[in-house]
Amino acid sequence: MPLTRREFMIAGSAIGAALGGGIVAPVALTWERDASGDVAAVTARFPERTVGRWSELVVGESTTFDYPAEGQPNVLVRVGRPVAHGIGREHDLVGFSSTCTHMGCPLTEYRADTATLGPCPCHFTTFDLAADGIPAFGQATQHLSRVLLRLDGDEVVAFGLRRPIYGHADPLHGVGVRVLAST
Amino acid sequence: MTATVPIPPPDATSSTTCCEYCPMACGYRVFTWPLGSDGGPAAADNALGRDLPVGPLAGGWTTENMHTVVRVDGEERNCVVLPDPDATVVNPGGGHSVRGGALARKLYRHDGPTSDRLTTPLLRVDGTLVPVPWDLALDLVADLSRHVVDLHGPLAWGMKIYSYEFFENTYAASKLALASIRTPNWSPHHAPAEGDDVPGLSDAGIDAFGACFADDRAAEVILIAGSDPYETKSVRFTQWQSAGGARLVVVDPRRTFTAAWAEANGGLHLQVEPGTDAFLYSAIVRDVLEHGWEDHAFVRDHTATRALLDTEPKWRRARFGRTRAELLDELRSDPDLSLTGAARITGVPSEKIREAALLLSGGTGPQPRTSVLFEKGVYWTHNYENTAAIANLGLVLGATGREGRATARMGGHQRGGVKAAGYPHDLSPHSVDGHPVEMDTERWLVEGNTRLRWVVGTNWLGATAGTSALRARVAELVGTGDPVTVADLDHARQRLVERIDAGGMVLVHQETYPNDSTRYADVVLPAATWGEEDFTRANAERRVRLYQRFMDPPGAARPDWWIFAEVGRRMGYDGFDWPDANAVATEALPRTAGSRKDCAVLVDVAEASGRRVHEVLADVGTTGFQAPLGLDGGTITETPRLHADLRFKTDSGRANFVHVDLDAVRTRNRVLAPRHDRGEVWVLNGRVNALWNNLSDYVRRPLAMERWPANLLEVNPLDARRWGLDAGDLVAVENAEVLDHVGATISGGFTAVVYPTDVVPPGVTFTYFLYPGSDANDVVAADTSLQPLNLRYPFKLGRGTVRRLGRAPGIEGMSFAPRNLVPSTDTGAHDHDH
Repeated sequence: MPLTRREFMIAGSAIGAALGGGIVAPVALTWERDASGDVAAVTARFPERTVGRWSELVVGESTTFDYPAEGQPNVLVRVGRPVAHGIGREHDLVGFSSTCTHMGCPLTEYRADTATLGPCPCHFTTFDLAADGIPAFGQATQHLSRVLLRLDGDEVVAFGLRRPIYGHADPLHGVGVRVLAST
Repeated sequence: MTATVPIPPPDATSSTTCCEYCPMACGYRVFTWPLGSDGGPAAADNALGRDLPVGPLAGGWTTENMHTVVRVDGEERNCVVLPDPDATVVNPGGGHSVRGGALARKLYRHDGPTSDRLTTPLLRVDGTLVPVPWDLALDLVADLSRHVVDLHGPLAWGMKIYSYEFFENTYAASKLALASIRTPNWSPHHAPAEGDDVPGLSDAGIDAFGACFADDRAAEVILIAGSDPYETKSVRFTQWQSAGGARLVVVDPRRTFTAAWAEANGGLHLQVEPGTDAFLYSAIVRDVLEHGWEDHAFVRDHTATRALLDTEPKWRRARFGRTRAELLDELRSDPDLSLTGAARITGVPSEKIREAALLLSGGTGPQPRTSVLFEKGVYWTHNYENTAAIANLGLVLGATGREGRATARMGGHQRGGVKAAGYPHDLSPHSVDGHPVEMDTERWLVEGNTRLRWVVGTNWLGATAGTSALRARVAELVGTGDPVTVADLDHARQRLVERIDAGGMVLVHQETYPNDSTRYADVVLPAATWGEEDFTRANAERRVRLYQRFMDPPGAARPDWWIFAEVGRRMGYDGFDWPDANAVATEALPRTAGSRKDCAVLVDVAEASGRRVHEVLADVGTTGFQAPLGLDGGTITETPRLHADLRFKTDSGRANFVHVDLDAVRTRNRVLAPRHDRGEVWVLNGRVNALWNNLSDYVRRPLAMERWPANLLEVNPLDARRWGLDAGDLVAVENAEVLDHVGATISGGFTAVVYPTDVVPPGVTFTYFLYPGSDANDVVAADTSLQPLNLRYPFKLGRGTVRRLGRAPGIEGMSFAPRNLVPSTDTGAHDHDH
């Protein structure tokens, strides 16, 4: 029987806690760590927001949206081939934070032929959106934060993040952070 | 409130250190604090004094890879290793590379990927390494060493050791090997023989590390040869070279990121055929001289006349030193050094060679501030000739001693060597034309003359040229006679002495993690390292800093200096009773006097103030002091750049041009270059940013292994099509004829995963040089008779054929994205202060 989303999150939280046993931070409502210390999971504190419509997305073009707080920019991309964590019929729709994880500069160049975001204008890191936002080349030590997406009919809905966003200890908290409301 | 990444609280224990890896040595802050007492996002609630979130380029953000858990005095504590956001030198504002940005992940933890650190001494018993007490291991190494030295002589006792891993350690090691045992059987991690890596430059009188990073920013034109600084010394590129706006002339067979960036920003990429650099530099020098574009005043006033060269006491300089006129005559007499001749040899179009000459010299216009910077692609090929040719180029341009003007190495490692005694050239069995040269320790070993080799902090049997041949020979030497069957000192000593006396060899390996050399070791000694002891070291601009201890070493691991001291004492030598690392530093630093790393005054300052020398350095944190240091009325004086008085390291104080023996280059290329009729191509090797050097701890980093689950072989898409290869194919790279350490012809090979890219041109492939299980240097010649002037391997000039084995297993999800993309628009957005 498929899990409901809430059950999935609770299960995910338990798995994360089990994997993260003995490590680091106290088990949190928001994040857990896996065995390597990576921040691994998310829970229901994130807003659920419609960030695009499948029927309006064009392969090879990127669109942008703020999530989960005001001023936190992301890109939404249909890569045009099945990619890691891609959703939709083609498993090709992904969303990532467009803030470079190296030192926080804005990533504005999406190259459709290579499915890369970057190079960052500051220190030139390039991220591979077809490989979970890994820094393919450059100085960043962390993948781009991936936006968790699902399709509700034609609506592309963001419901969480995997991995932190540059500059934030917690994308939902901090001095001056205003989290967006669910839609 | 829960943080996603732990924030150090205001009362976290704070220390400073520098990055362990590349020659920049960026400054880092380290915080440790008890589990469960994290700080908060408001400035008042964290040790950084910053409100979180921080904005772009602000520094002070902790990524998940900057955090771990360590033990301090036995207690588990959170640990964050953060690029110093308040740094004012090297990495101002907290700049960092992918290497340093994940330093926390190198630290030992018993429950993480680093849990396989060597934590106890080990003795090989019946083929298996078993834990033994320190006393047993140290007594055994000391007894066997004493036996070898007494019975077989000091030349039979050899040490192969990192050249760079902190002043305290290199001093203690050399006190044992060079000052006490007095053996010439001593070589650094990267070469078969001790000695100068850049002899041509040294013979010109130029110090290889005279530059300072600020000169890169002040330069108007920088020639970058045989190095991709963005990938291997990243912050030098991001915060100094690209930030200063200089036009770059990049000499590299590969169209690297740095090369692509140069062309997109008003510079040039001279895509030279491997092995032909000396022709290219010499052709540029000839073009500059023939047009009178050189720095006339500098050449006239600061390069040597024939009369001065004739009185030069050093034989190599006396033989190869040239005046301007002599050099020009030589260059003119070689038809391969005309623009068209050089274009034919190097593959660089003649108009580009001319363009480079004009850009570097300014032509008839104002002379730009030009620097000539280079690294291993230059000197790990045709070692003497390339470094001589590049020295000539630096001298005609007057690229030295002044703001924005330097001729220098950019560095491979940091500068952590201090010797307790000079190298005993008089005892070396090797010579050239009657002049002693440093001993080729690998040839000596393969010939069966080394009875005990002590390998310290290097993957010797993974990295050496002719890799598998050397491993086979070592297996033979350590397999001589009966094995040790009981973990007992007397028994082990007896068995190993029998082996030594029967012509075999004992291998001692001192390391942090097991590697290819450990498999052959009789005794393994676990070393404490970065973060686990207070250490001192200089970087590529001679900046001396303290690398503070902030955590416990794992298990019974002890710092290298302590291990050398224990063995030295047990061998009966005096002067090995240091109580701590500070005591070693206090004895070692005066030995730097007169060198580029001269920081001897720190000891005087410490004594005058009743403090420890490490404390004096701790006071200046990530800033340190830029050597050579002096004292002016009790104040420490520093030296931003060398040769500022335009005096050089020759007898006369004048620099000189150096003869470039291009016939030697031609002859060597005939031995090393790929034979197209056999389907061979160049197999170059080098570093990959996210993997750094020998993967000693990177193989334990989740991010590095996710990015590089297997070694790569860069293949041009045209070659890939020609050979029927796709991205992700596993290939065998094979060289049917490799010269081994004694000049015999063997075969070599390794496997790697095809990474199609225009970084390499057709006919050239590139691989990471030391991926576990992928011995790139197995296709590289190990016969030093190819370069008798200076016994170095041509690591960068491998060759081989490429054969598809099938799809590579276990690399699902590996990115094959381009690694040389430059911003397609104006790059003015990059920060000048960061």
